[in-house]
Amino acid sequence: MGLGRQIESFLDDRFDTETARGFVDKQAHKRLPPNTGWFHVFGSLSLLLFVSQTITGILLLIYYRPTPEAAHESIQYITAEVYFGWLYRQIHAWGGTLMILAVVFHMVRTYFWGAYKKPRELTWVTGVLIFIGTITFGFTGYLLPWNQLAFWATTVGTESANKVPLIGSWLQYFLRGGDAVTGETLSRFFVVHVIILPWLFTGLVVVHLILMRLNNLATFERVGEEKPSPPEYGIPFFPVHVAKEGVVVVLLLAVLVTLSVLVPWEIGEPADPLSTPAHIKPEWYFLPSYQLLKYFEGPYGAIIGIFACSLPFFLLFLWPFLDRGKERHPKRRPLAVGFGLLGLLGALFLGYLGHISETEQTFFGKRYYIDLLGRPNEIVDDAGTSESKAH
Amino acid sequence: MMDISEPSTRRGFLDWLIAACSSVAGAALVIPGLVYLWPAAKGGAAENVEVEGASDMSPGQARTIQIAGKAVIVVRKRSEYRAFLAACTHLGCLVTWDSSRNEFLCPCHAAVFDENGEVVSGPPPSPLPRYQIKEVGGKVYVSAA
Repeated sequence: MGLGRQIESFLDDRFDTETARGFVDKQAHKRLPPNTGWFHVFGSLSLLLFVSQTITGILLLIYYRPTPEAAHESIQYITAEVYFGWLYRQIHAWGGTLMILAVVFHMVRTYFWGAYKKPRELTWVTGVLIFIGTITFGFTGYLLPWNQLAFWATTVGTESANKVPLIGSWLQYFLRGGDAVTGETLSRFFVVHVIILPWLFTGLVVVHLILMRLNNLATFERVGEEKPSPPEYGIPFFPVHVAKEGVVVVLLLAVLVTLSVLVPWEIGEPADPLSTPAHIKPEWYFLPSYQLLKYFEGPYGAIIGIFACSLPFFLLFLWPFLDRGKERHPKRRPLAVGFGLLGLLGALFLGYLGHISETEQTFFGKRYYIDLLGRPNEIVDDAGTSESKAH
Repeated sequence: MMDISEPSTRRGFLDWLIAACSSVAGAALVIPGLVYLWPAAKGGAAENVEVEGASDMSPGQARTIQIAGKAVIVVRKRSEYRAFLAACTHLGCLVTWDSSRNEFLCPCHAAVFDENGEVVSGPPPSPLPRYQIKEVGGKVYVSAA
């Protein structure tokens, strides 16, 4: 008897393995609705990136030192000295960015497919929590290399917390572990990034997956009128959908390694608490909020700004309970689709404005200085002509 | 009137008692944990901190130092020194001193403060908080106002 059979027989003698086997079989051969396609791989892609982040994160932890004196140096050591350290650092940094993209695409697909509607409201709510968790991973992880950009982006980011009504200054003090961004902040962010968030996130993902399997994937049928797919029409989870995900895994690994090699993240200068570099901007996923906050100044403006930045998240949470229509197909939900597109384009536009603000740009042959609020001001030379015309 | 001999009532009371005791025990475990997370005050003295090498500064020159964990910018004018919290009141970036314009500039969102720390332009909602300066025996000391 082979070793595999021996282990199986050992387990059979002691546990009800038949039930477990039946469960796994049922899950593996479950039929997915016929409309399940390539757009449905973003969920698995997000999960895969989380696994990749966990593995590369554990590897980085072996050499990383979370103190202001040693953090930056340890990142340099990982990059320059440790075997394949540069690769794991780059895959971790790029993986974080791609994970946020994958989660956003997954949410966009779910929104436009109307898959958040009854009975999948809680699956959506756990998904929104996962989205917030992913962003928090990005925010807390960004500080860990303790370089100038990270230090000052965190200073600006935590300063924004000060604008929250009533509890703002307490919240900022608590987040920073004191008045300013210091080693205390680094310790706090480190613990949240490597201990608290991973456990919370794992729990959320497990609940999300259980809910998803219990309700199966949504079809385009109206709410309450979904019929179980007969086996001849449904798509087998295994091997058909799993094969699609296999293709995505290979592509993802290719993209991660390519980005890591061709567009590596800089280590940057070590943090200097006594000198702010010019034009600090947050990571791309915070740019829409960063830009939006600029339009609300003054004591009341700041409160309205915080409210305006929080509103999209509240709407995301509540959306399945606000949109009670029975239709799922995007063509039959013009209002929800229009609203979603407006939100998406608004975020992209604000993000772009945030990206180009306080820089010089050329549009249609003319040079402009884009001010803080994103307004273009044509740059005119002494002769009274646009700079580009003078050349 | 409550009939304590009634089994369901007695059971209800015991349920309530167990829930109350569990809550108290839970709070006794959780509250110290939450308090532990609150940052303990530290950062050293914020009074009469000497500005090292202040006498070497020429008029118009500025130096950023740390006092109790906060960045403070000290500017030497012709006959006096001035000190302000260097963190811009907008989003906390550190201002620099432009001696040719007699103004503080914020590198993040182009805010400008005058030599008294008052907002000239840009998004900051309030002036730069001022620190007190004391000159004793040729040495310069800074204290939080």
